[in-house]
Amino acid sequence: MKLKSCLTVITIAILGLTTNAQSAVPESSDPIKLAINEWTGQHISTHVAGEILKRMGYNVEYVTAGYFPQMVALEDNTISATLEIWSSNIGEHYDKALASGNVEEIGDLGLVPVESWFINNAAMEKCPGLPDYKALNGCVQAFANAETFPKGRFVDYPADWGTSNVDRLVALGLDFTSVPAGSEGALIAEIQGAEIRKEPLMVMFWSPHWVHAVVDLSNVKLPPYQKGCEDDASVGVNPNATWDCDWERGYIKKLAWSGMAEKWPAAHKLLSAYTLRNEDQIPMMNAIDQDGKKLEAVVSAWVDANEAIWKPWVDAAM
Amino acid sequence: MLIQLPRRNTSDMWPWLGVILVSAVCLLLRDKVAWLNQLPSDLVIPVADWINIYMDWFIDTFKWIFRSINWLLSWPMNGAQALLQWLPWPATIAAFCVVAYISSGWRLSIFTGLALLYMVITGYWSPSMNTLGIVFVSIPLAVGAGFVLAVVSYKSERANRIVQPILDLMQTVPTFAYLIPILLLFGFGPVVGVVASSIYACPPMVRNMILGLQKVPADVLESGVMSGSTKRQLFWWVQVPSAMPNIMVGVNQTTMCALSMVIIAAIIGGSADIGWEVLSTMRKAQFGQSLLAGIVIALIAMILDRISRGFTDRTRAIERRHLSRIERSKPLITALGLMLAFILLSIFVPALRIYPETLIFYPADVINEGLRYVTANYAFFMNTLKNTVLFYYLLPIKIGFANVISPFSWGFSLTSAMVWGYAVVIFVCACWLYLKRSWQSSIAVVVTGGLLYFGLTAIPWLPFILIVTLLAWQTGGLRVATLAFTGLLFMLFTGIWSQAMLSVYLCLAAVMVCLLVGGSLGIWASRSQWASNFLRPINDTLQSMPLFVILIPFLMFFQIGEFTSFLAIIAYAIVPMIRYTEHGLRHVPEETVEAARSMGCSPRQMLWEVKMPLALPEIMLGLNQTVLFALAMLVITALVGSKGLGQSVYIALSSADTGLGLVAGLGMALIAIIADRIIQSWCAKRKDALGLA
Repeated sequence: MKLKSCLTVITIAILGLTTNAQSAVPESSDPIKLAINEWTGQHISTHVAGEILKRMGYNVEYVTAGYFPQMVALEDNTISATLEIWSSNIGEHYDKALASGNVEEIGDLGLVPVESWFINNAAMEKCPGLPDYKALNGCVQAFANAETFPKGRFVDYPADWGTSNVDRLVALGLDFTSVPAGSEGALIAEIQGAEIRKEPLMVMFWSPHWVHAVVDLSNVKLPPYQKGCEDDASVGVNPNATWDCDWERGYIKKLAWSGMAEKWPAAHKLLSAYTLRNEDQIPMMNAIDQDGKKLEAVVSAWVDANEAIWKPWVDAAM
Repeated sequence: MLIQLPRRNTSDMWPWLGVILVSAVCLLLRDKVAWLNQLPSDLVIPVADWINIYMDWFIDTFKWIFRSINWLLSWPMNGAQALLQWLPWPATIAAFCVVAYISSGWRLSIFTGLALLYMVITGYWSPSMNTLGIVFVSIPLAVGAGFVLAVVSYKSERANRIVQPILDLMQTVPTFAYLIPILLLFGFGPVVGVVASSIYACPPMVRNMILGLQKVPADVLESGVMSGSTKRQLFWWVQVPSAMPNIMVGVNQTTMCALSMVIIAAIIGGSADIGWEVLSTMRKAQFGQSLLAGIVIALIAMILDRISRGFTDRTRAIERRHLSRIERSKPLITALGLMLAFILLSIFVPALRIYPETLIFYPADVINEGLRYVTANYAFFMNTLKNTVLFYYLLPIKIGFANVISPFSWGFSLTSAMVWGYAVVIFVCACWLYLKRSWQSSIAVVVTGGLLYFGLTAIPWLPFILIVTLLAWQTGGLRVATLAFTGLLFMLFTGIWSQAMLSVYLCLAAVMVCLLVGGSLGIWASRSQWASNFLRPINDTLQSMPLFVILIPFLMFFQIGEFTSFLAIIAYAIVPMIRYTEHGLRHVPEETVEAARSMGCSPRQMLWEVKMPLALPEIMLGLNQTVLFALAMLVITALVGSKGLGQSVYIALSSADTGLGLVAGLGMALIAIIADRIIQSWCAKRKDALGLA
């Protein structure tokens, strides 16, 4: 029930109405609507920004929105901004939204995402050569199950997220089958289930994510990413194949409705300047998902304690 | 004997032998002739692309109309949500209890009160009320649309011929498939979910209302005409009231369907409802949390179902009519009084407005611990179960004995002697059945034997199309055969054949288990009242609980993959099989049972020789429903990694590919409709043979 109270309620900020004469913030008392997607990290990124906006004097409303459907909402200010768009998972909705001219990118969030192959501790025990990927073919049996035999089992991203791992497995010459997970919940259930049963598991996953606080996962050491590896066969360890390298390190973008700069100039400047680091988000994520603390309490504690970080953005924006 | 066996007639058998011959040739040549296995890609008609181009134009041109509808609909919805949020919880509970009391008395009233209290105590009150707000808009919308459609198709035979197949599509194309066009047309917000769920929920209303209007007795109509009523008066004062019982059944069914789609609204987002809670917790694989939230949806469904069913009960309605006006308005006055009292009280007692957090009872962690314990301690048992079912049941159907038998799976590898032995056994069985039983069973053995050896997904498309079309021909005649043939060709030429076969395989495997297990449970329930009472709440819960919830424990136990999907499909699709079998067996004509008993039937003979054949049409109707439910589940099981058409729908959803979504959705609908028509016409034939028609 951490989200319940925060999701719908329109909150009118009373704080931050300082005697700043020259600033006319808020330029409009209409609520700035920030998208709330389905994962905790995003809730934190959004609520921190929302909290700062509130302290500037804005009305902030949080609107629950599916990750892809929100793109449609950004076009007409049904949602004013969304703050955690992963470069690895954007799809055509994103292109269509930008092409409409009503949606703009407002910079990177600053989180550094790692998307790659992860293995659990049971896998490390059963397969001594790991985390080097070259050891994988030596212990295919440890990973195989009834549906993948005689190959090993590699739990992949859901098919609809789009993934290159099928090609990557071939390019790296690994005797593994990619099993698409279907959903994030399925990925997590798989990771937790394997941990409980102490069974080896190799899975496509990402960080920062709260599950790393519960289950010890380590990266498989794949050949490092090189530019061109995805479309030029000659690049990478296998001279005859593309995708013979690790995933490219992505980035996370912020998007806003194009009318924002005009309607709420200061808020627009603030959201453009706003960044959050991994070391900020991960402890908050653990506090919420592990220790069961309330999202609002955790976020406002962070905002209280880190004025040094966000005050300069506010000053520059006003 | 009442039952007369149809005359033995083998002229229908020859086409089958032809089909088997063609299949054998195809299987022999499939390695040499590539197009037998897969249609060359340049023959695939880019229907999906055409749809996309047309949709883009359509959306750009007519968007403004739909956006204004969205705007209009959002008013009553926001209004209902704001009202429900504003009302203190005891006031809302009081109102519901009184309505439940009017509908069917004290017992339902108490149940309603407790169910709503559950939402308060678990802290889900606010999202639950948002959900109710959505439902209060989508139900009238679906009922209204259904009403209009029903009247139109009742009045005009031509309209009816257009409406009927559309109703089939509305019920069988998965909602996810048209979510994207609706989102693009209507714009973001919970209205998208409302529209989508209304599309799915309105067909039962149309069907029941048409049935009701058709059933109005001619003399009632005549007396209406004779007393000089105009057409309009005749409709509103004579036909609609006489059709009311059926209309109310339609309202009840539509309500249930609308609720089962609550979760769809949450996928779009825009309102913090209980569906969103279920989805978010499902994303985190938190079983306890999602179960507690899922129970809320099941409870809302049960409350609305029981209340609306109470109003359909004629006897109570007549009882009510005999009360004086004052007595009739008593409960309403009580309700208003109670609500007013609670609203006033809540000004002084804040706990009545917002339930204090310290009193929230939320046992999610206990449930999660339990799941952990089972997962940790029964891993070996579950792995064995999974492997057994996969190796000896699922995989043979999917890829055939030819591919599944290996030292890793069965402990030995397949030798050519075994293959010959298998062929001989099949042949001997077929001959024996031909001589002793019927040619149908003999053909069935040959076809099944071939399927199991080669595997459903490895069978070339030509034999598959021929087999299904021939089956359709012999059960339903030319019309069903044409439908089956064109439907299968559609799947072939739009390039979704291989996905479709994966879907058919998974559903077929699950439906057969449902048939056996569900049928046995139904028989058990028809013979023992205790069993019937025991199974009913389980069935209710399985049907109204959002299925996302049960996926989590299945995933923990059995991991991502087909076995998990298989179990999830069974859990949902077995319900109609149990219900219809029980109902069919319990409603065999009493005089027939008496006659059989006086002839000295043993209980066993009674069941298998008398009741079963007579209940068979009803049981087959249950099977029909089971097939439809199983196909509907495919979209959900794609979330746990099942491949096939369900997965295509998701890929379309995430890549904004309207065309692909609709084509895949249509593919699922076609499979459902073809299966439905074949089973229905088989039923009709049986009924004819038994003289039940």
